[in-house]
Amino acid sequence: MRTAILSLLFGALLAGAAPGATDDEAAARKTLMALAGAFSNDGFKLRDGNWTGAIQPKASLLVQVHLYAGNQYWFSAGASRQAKKLSLSVFDETGALMKSEPYQEEAKGDDGPKAAAGFAPAVSGAYFVRIQETKGDAASFSFSYSYK
Amino acid sequence: MDGAMFIRILAAVLAIGVLPAARAASDSRLTPEQIAAATRVDSVTVPTPGELFAAINKIGKPNWQGQYRKPLDMAFSSRPQIALNLGGLVADGYIAVEAEDSQQVKNIGKDIETLAKGLGVSQNILSRGGSITEFAENNEWSALREELEATQNEVKMAMEEQHDDDLVALVSLGGWIRGAEAVSSWIAKNYTPENAKLLRQPALVAYLRGKIGALSGKVRDDPLVGKVNRELERMESLVSFPRDKSAALGDVKKLNDAASALEKDIAGKKE
Repeated sequence: MRTAILSLLFGALLAGAAPGATDDEAAARKTLMALAGAFSNDGFKLRDGNWTGAIQPKASLLVQVHLYAGNQYWFSAGASRQAKKLSLSVFDETGALMKSEPYQEEAKGDDGPKAAAGFAPAVSGAYFVRIQETKGDAASFSFSYSYK
Repeated sequence: MDGAMFIRILAAVLAIGVLPAARAASDSRLTPEQIAAATRVDSVTVPTPGELFAAINKIGKPNWQGQYRKPLDMAFSSRPQIALNLGGLVADGYIAVEAEDSQQVKNIGKDIETLAKGLGVSQNILSRGGSITEFAENNEWSALREELEATQNEVKMAMEEQHDDDLVALVSLGGWIRGAEAVSSWIAKNYTPENAKLLRQPALVAYLRGKIGALSGKVRDDPLVGKVNRELERMESLVSFPRDKSAALGDVKKLNDAASALEKDIAGKKE
């Protein structure tokens, strides 16, 4: 368990310690925007902010979000091409896995992997989104969400 | 190695933590330790007022113009007070967008620019100001919601660049307080237990209070910031109810009274 906590802490520190955008981070954001932009066509408004940093293979990163019952959300993540596959999962504030609509697109050529999770909360409150790199090498990732 | 020896070694290995590690790696449940270590960043952890208003619009048709307040007296003398009001003005901008009132949006855009000037970050939002005016004149409400958040983020980034990180936290706080005031006012007048469930946000308020705790001593000792911290503690208890319960009408009114009083202090002239 200690390893898992350290891994999460380390991941969080790495993710938070990115004062200037590196080329890989810029690539991860571009991949994120390519995916999240698609949801805008369905009336979803994309948050202007994002969470960008480093992710390790087989590692999990967790971020807290606040969701309102009645809204629909799409969480999106993109990574630089060193990563091959990402996945997103949504948990409630008790840590229980929520049913969400998954979307995954593996890295292809110069395009990094993308992943999304669609979710409509029944209860307002804190939720946690887990980003996992399930295949590939150490990479940069970028995360944001859209709502309507 | 005989079977008994293997079992003893296996038991010892399990006892020092292989099993807990396996449990932590479970795909279906997070451990309390994992939850405690989760990342919390303003950019995705603090929702925009627009998200709350979107949820409100699904359960009723609020008279958003009824949530307007008097124009702010812009002569603030302390930087924390300016930052808190800047956040409140961004929330006002979302309210004006919900009311689809282009003149009000433009007025608020100008006020945001004035306050940003007071903090030395106006250069970063001048170009945004032009977009806000253009979108407002063309009734592009969806684009305006995104532009308001982008404007707020530009201001926050400029503050970080000039090492005013404390003020970034206060902008977020100011926005939440103004949003809470507007929404609790509407819910108090249109009370149903279902509507009041939208006010449930204990983790969010705890996060915002944590930001106050992390402020530098100089900013934390500002009398207005001290008052915000004390009132936020009270407001946290009003928005902290179980997942399967709702806030009572009395608590919604108390929340609205607390947010309104605090908003008056924030907007009031500092002696």
